[in-house]
Amino acid sequence: MPPSLPFIRLVHRNLRKYRFKIGLSITIAILVLSLVSQYIAPYPREGLGYVPVGEESRRLLPPSPQYLFGTDTLGRDLFSRVIMASRSAIIQAFSVVFLSLIIGLIVGVLAAYFKGLVELVLNYLTELFMAIPSIVIALFFRLTLEAGFHVVIISLVTTWWAWYARITYVYAKGVVELDYVVLAKLSGLSPAKIIMRHVVGVIIQPILVQAISDLGSALLEASGINFMGLGLPPGYPDWGVILYEGISEMGIIAFTRAPWLVFYPGLFILLTTLGFTLLADPLREDLDPRLRRRWKLWF
Amino acid sequence: MPVSLNYIFKRVLLSILVVIGVIVFSYILLLYTPGDPAVKWAGNPRGPEARKAIEIARRELGLDQPIHVQIAQFIYHVFTGNLGLSIAYKVPVSQVITSGFTATLELLIFTYLLAVPLGLWLGIYSALRRGSRFDSFIQSLSVVLASTPTFWLGAIIALISYSTTGFLPYGRVSYKLATSTGFNPITGFYLLDALIQGNYAVFLDALLRIIPPALAISVYPIGVVARVSRTLVAEALLEDYVRSAVAWGVRRNTIIKHFVLKSIIPPVIQISGLAFVYSIVDAMVVESLVFGREGLGSILLDSLHKADFRVTIALAIYLTIFYISVNTIVDIIQASIDPRVKI
Amino acid sequence: MVLAVRASGISIGYIDEEEEYIVWAVRRVDLAIEEGDAFCLVGESGSGKTTFANAIAGILPPHVVTRGKLYIFDRLAIDESTWNFNGLRGRVVSYIPQNPGTSLSPFLTIEEHFYHVLRDTLRYDREKSRRAAIEALLKVGLDRGVLEDYPHELSGGMQQRVLIAIALASNAKIIVADEPTSAIDANLRASVLQLLGKLNREYRVTLLIVTHDLASTSIVCNRLAVMLAGKIVETGRTISVLRNPQHPYTKMLLDCIPLLGVKKPLKPLPGEPIQVVEDKAICPFRERCPRAIDKCVEEPPLKPVGDEESHYVKCWILTGGESE
Repeated sequence: MPPSLPFIRLVHRNLRKYRFKIGLSITIAILVLSLVSQYIAPYPREGLGYVPVGEESRRLLPPSPQYLFGTDTLGRDLFSRVIMASRSAIIQAFSVVFLSLIIGLIVGVLAAYFKGLVELVLNYLTELFMAIPSIVIALFFRLTLEAGFHVVIISLVTTWWAWYARITYVYAKGVVELDYVVLAKLSGLSPAKIIMRHVVGVIIQPILVQAISDLGSALLEASGINFMGLGLPPGYPDWGVILYEGISEMGIIAFTRAPWLVFYPGLFILLTTLGFTLLADPLREDLDPRLRRRWKLWF
Repeated sequence: MPVSLNYIFKRVLLSILVVIGVIVFSYILLLYTPGDPAVKWAGNPRGPEARKAIEIARRELGLDQPIHVQIAQFIYHVFTGNLGLSIAYKVPVSQVITSGFTATLELLIFTYLLAVPLGLWLGIYSALRRGSRFDSFIQSLSVVLASTPTFWLGAIIALISYSTTGFLPYGRVSYKLATSTGFNPITGFYLLDALIQGNYAVFLDALLRIIPPALAISVYPIGVVARVSRTLVAEALLEDYVRSAVAWGVRRNTIIKHFVLKSIIPPVIQISGLAFVYSIVDAMVVESLVFGREGLGSILLDSLHKADFRVTIALAIYLTIFYISVNTIVDIIQASIDPRVKI
Repeated sequence: MVLAVRASGISIGYIDEEEEYIVWAVRRVDLAIEEGDAFCLVGESGSGKTTFANAIAGILPPHVVTRGKLYIFDRLAIDESTWNFNGLRGRVVSYIPQNPGTSLSPFLTIEEHFYHVLRDTLRYDREKSRRAAIEALLKVGLDRGVLEDYPHELSGGMQQRVLIAIALASNAKIIVADEPTSAIDANLRASVLQLLGKLNREYRVTLLIVTHDLASTSIVCNRLAVMLAGKIVETGRTISVLRNPQHPYTKMLLDCIPLLGVKKPLKPLPGEPIQVVEDKAICPFRERCPRAIDKCVEEPPLKPVGDEESHYVKCWILTGGESE
């Protein structure tokens, strides 16, 4: 049985929950938006960062039927830029979490399964990378590489995988000591099969749920790096970059003179993150018997 | 409960190993990323002095020596705080970093002194009134706030402050006010300095300017601490020892205060420590770009724009050391207040 | 004769998670425990014995519903669905929990446990509670050295003694002990039971011991009741019930435990304990009973056994299969 099947059952079980429905709707909406935004954006070229002709007359226009979210400091249509930035958000959030999850799973399970030196070294590496703030890595890459997705994604993955390695290790450690794994070893099953079927298959659910809720944190952290100007290049359609441009051009006065410049990109970050959180929370409660138990102040 | 030296020793040793790993890692990045390391270390100099500056940098790094000697030297320089002069600021790198740390730490400590007790209170209160309107409000609020980008929230707070009172919280203190009252920053923690000097005008001004960024940064720790302490209280209420205490006739308030709260303090401290290191990055982003405060954030941006490689790399290393120190200290504190941890 | 505990028609049920149905753990039980009794409640897991003991100790969890009435020294503690244990917990009824390892707070020393209990029940100050604690510890054979210890620094047997001492210290008249011997090593069981017996005899503490271990508790208790699927199927003086068991279930319980000095084949109990969702009036043992008759689809009344004083049994066979 592939490990994903119980997970599908878990999702199915939670489909009727109110919060889960909202989370799912938001997530699907953003996913769809990221696919179709370049076709529905009124000014797709401006969305990609090109400065329109005759920009002087179009700078910092407030929201209007023509420019739904107003225009930015370079006269570009903010609506086009904001909706087209959903693609960058999805790319960053999913690739950071997916890559970290894969690396973390492998390292964590190996450390738990092969004890001794392997365990020691892998745990030291985990500890090492957990201790580095991702902004530091971004800094290093920014010093040495061109701006782009790889800066954001690599700098986040460099520190994030360690968290997955740690939780995988903790879960897997609890499982590999269990009798049935020991018996599987004794029965001569190959380590690869034991690890996939009896270790990963058992612990994957809570880790996947954690990964879903981390999509939001990944987006927040990536936006922070882009907002600092460390990640994607200026002009790129990305919510962090759009916010950064608004501020770096005008300073804090941007908020007071053109609040829409700040409001809309931030709102989209908030909504997307909220979607992931609402998606993950019911699943987490479902999996964690401690959260399910009824309790109240009864005495 | 005294913590045995053995535990502290082990913990600190591990941390030092991690720190050395990070320093080596950053040195290797300096060496093996595209570009001449000496040129990078000298800050991409141009003009007639360039050749000389690069020569000096080459000698400082000891690039002609074998790699292990270079690394050992570099580690030595990091621990003695001797990384040379900042290209951009023309003062020792250590001085730049120190002033950045005090500024950012002031903001963070201020934030956490308010946020952790508030989060703890909210979490406990909503756990004790589970299912009440207050509880579900706090629950939903914490979900929304946890999804809010801090820098965006900071901008909204600044906007609200400006549009309602006309006050734009910018910088750490009004420069004009500080010079006219003869304010003299000694420790670098402006609030503390102003109080020591009895300079209440500056204190008030600094306070008004620290509150808005602190509010924005506090959202994360408040949410985390509230969420964690709610779950912890809920779990503690289900413990056997709470049941037996009830049966022995211990009153509700005593049970909450002595049986429940005592058990949640160590994990709350630990989670606050984790949140604190996370908030450092948050603070760097918010203070520099949104609120125009000097601090680690502005140093980072400056050093990047001016290609001040030494400051950037020093910042990265000392930030990591700080990260690890906070984690280590929190672990030791936690271990020393939990009687079960046999050390 | 003063009644320490009087239950009349008491039912206790657990509401399931989705609040769709109630599992009845205790069903319309009538029971009286006299002051000074050492009363033993015997039954398999799921028979409702622990739930019933928790009701007397005043620690029913919140997702529980009750019916009927429960009096403790003539004070109404459970009145249909409302509970009031104020002033009873600790002062009148105290409690020895089942699991010594988890029943003491790991963050408090033994002295602090005593202090919080005694301050809240008897308004003792630190000094007085310390003296009372030393006295109580002495009764259970521990010295004052443990006062400064944290629970995890004590052995399981010592923890159990401390629990007993705390239950004693507030001078409660009734002590409810939930499986006091199940979590400790066999060699300590006898001493804990002897200790409980001593408390009962020397300090006239009314004891209610919940157990599944008929053999060893019979040493301590002068009366016992056998519980099955939320009902008491047989009750009487210990000697009378053990020597002359009437209910088929009681007989089988005695058949499956070894008794010292008696040579007999051991027989395991057949069948599985049942979970009662619908409180139907049938004999709970019908499906597992080797002697079941047609009448057993109705609930038998609790009838006295012969001329033996206060020995009652709930079985159709013994009443000749006739209802009243």
